[in-house]
Amino acid sequence: MKRTDSSISAIAEDDTESPCSCQDYVHYIREKTNQLLEVMGTTPLRPEELDDRALIEMDPIGIVADSFRQIIGTLNKTIDELTHTKNELQAIFDATGVGISIIDRDYTIERYNQKQRELLVDPNMSNIVGKFCYEVYSDRCSPICECPARESFATGKSTLVREIWKKGRCFQIISTPFSVSEDGVVEKVIEVSMEVTEKKIAEIAEKEMKEFCLSEKMKLATIIESLSEGLMVLDKDDRVISWNRAAEEMTHWLLAEMKDQPLTTLFPELGAALKTNSGKLQGVELTYKASDSEERVLSVNIGQLEGSDGKPIGKVLTFSDNTEQKKRTELYHHAEKLAAIGQLSAGVAHELNTPLGSVLGYARLLLKDKSLTAIQKEQASIIAEQAKKSSSIIQGLLRFARQTSREKKVLENCQLNDIIMGTRPLLETELTKRKIKLTTDLAPLEPTAADAQELEQVVLNLSMNAIQAIGSKGRIHIKTRQSGKHILMSIADNGPGIPEAIRSRIFDPFYTTKPVGEGTGLGLSICSGIIGDLGGTIDIDSHLEKGTTIRVLFHLATIEQKKSQKVAADTKVSSFVKAGEVT
Amino acid sequence: MESREIVDVVDLNILGQVCPACLLVVLKALNLHERNLRSGKTRLLVRTDHRDSTRTVPESARKMGYLVDVKKIDRHYEISIGKPHEKN
Repeated sequence: MKRTDSSISAIAEDDTESPCSCQDYVHYIREKTNQLLEVMGTTPLRPEELDDRALIEMDPIGIVADSFRQIIGTLNKTIDELTHTKNELQAIFDATGVGISIIDRDYTIERYNQKQRELLVDPNMSNIVGKFCYEVYSDRCSPICECPARESFATGKSTLVREIWKKGRCFQIISTPFSVSEDGVVEKVIEVSMEVTEKKIAEIAEKEMKEFCLSEKMKLATIIESLSEGLMVLDKDDRVISWNRAAEEMTHWLLAEMKDQPLTTLFPELGAALKTNSGKLQGVELTYKASDSEERVLSVNIGQLEGSDGKPIGKVLTFSDNTEQKKRTELYHHAEKLAAIGQLSAGVAHELNTPLGSVLGYARLLLKDKSLTAIQKEQASIIAEQAKKSSSIIQGLLRFARQTSREKKVLENCQLNDIIMGTRPLLETELTKRKIKLTTDLAPLEPTAADAQELEQVVLNLSMNAIQAIGSKGRIHIKTRQSGKHILMSIADNGPGIPEAIRSRIFDPFYTTKPVGEGTGLGLSICSGIIGDLGGTIDIDSHLEKGTTIRVLFHLATIEQKKSQKVAADTKVSSFVKAGEVT
Repeated sequence: MESREIVDVVDLNILGQVCPACLLVVLKALNLHERNLRSGKTRLLVRTDHRDSTRTVPESARKMGYLVDVKKIDRHYEISIGKPHEKN
């Protein structure tokens, strides 16, 4: 630079010696200076601004040249940096775990990285630059509607396609506008492809697992809800978390009312038991009284509820209402006792029958003896009468004992209405004596196969019970109806009614409310046995001070049906006996 | 604590001058103080009231790789030219 400066000064100094050429030089320098200033983006020098001498002294070309050196230095540095950045970007482009390609508006692939090739390009295909992306990546003749590049070209926005399957692998493809023209047209897009097969498979597996769990949960919920046993789930602090419908029905509490309440609020007896034996219980019986019902006997089981890590997370409690079962057990024992008494009575009755026959026979002989005084005859008559009464009691006993014996029945086609009308004369004396009015309402009935004497006994017993219940002055109404293959007979009285406490016992043998000597307590049990044999039932509807209605309901049957039933029953008994012999 | 370097400020008053003389004066100063400006020891503070200079001077200085800041102070402009940014 110094050399240049001195050359210019020399030209200025030589001005006097060679004015013409010097002027040309100065002009040249001014022109070149202006040219350089234009390059620098500013206006040309004005002659009045800088005269020739000042121009030469200032050395503008030197200044601009020096500035250019700095500019070129900066440019070279920038180029180095850009080259370095480009290399870095290329390395990132190639090393990234996602496939990348640059696509122009004609869907031609401009660039792509190795990963894109691995993921989406057929290995047999050589260079894919310049080929259509839809041909190379999707084996198609044109871009499809869901093509993310197409969407980005159209909207100028990034587009994500969540799921594209190719060669059994799943991809997510994101297309981003990359080069946009001055008028806003997207000229190129970058398409990034990410393989998400494992994630997708995991998602599918998770979805299937969720559906399976949900389905199992629903099944379990249905099973729990349909259980006849009550079921409760307790948390670690023995508070109620949930329970089923049966639990609500048994306890008469709604879950909403009991949720988060301690179990001991409901079952105080379990408080001590929960603290021992890790809270596990089997078959514990406790009594529970719901606010608006009678006391119930519950059988409770408690088990530990464990989490997936095996640690206790609560308890599950199941309970069943054993009240009816307990009652049935008591009734069964009672019935067994009665059966034993019946068998014993039958034996005793049989033994008493013979001596009683003798007593009656001799009493009757005595009555025929004309040598007896009137008093003696009266005494003999009392003996005969009491012996006869005793005999009829014994007959009743024997009949009760024999009530399951089918052999001695005489099956015939019976007309119940005729049987009812046939008993009227027998009842007439009692009805008149007690001023009781008997009315009937008998609908036409089909005949049914039964033992007529047994049916007569049922009508007589039930009618006599009604008469005795009324005492004197009252009404008895006997009604019959047929509905399909069922016959209904009801005998209603307006007596004092049967107290509720004894209603369940009046069918028990030997149970009577009559004074000692007036009833054997066998009447209703014999009726129950006879109707039971006919496959029917006896129901009582009684209201205190209003009266009692006994309803007898039984099936119509033909003699053939009854006989076939008898054969079937006999065969069953026979098989049972044979099996017993073998064992 | 941020350490503060002491920077010499070369004050270049070209008030009343117009382009292209302004630009040539500034370019000359930039050439003269190149080493210190690039190392950050020196900062060139140009004061000008010629509006065109606020365009031509920063453009040229930036092309040379310097960091330029232009401020309007009352009736003139202050163009601060200094050490370029360090690239990461």
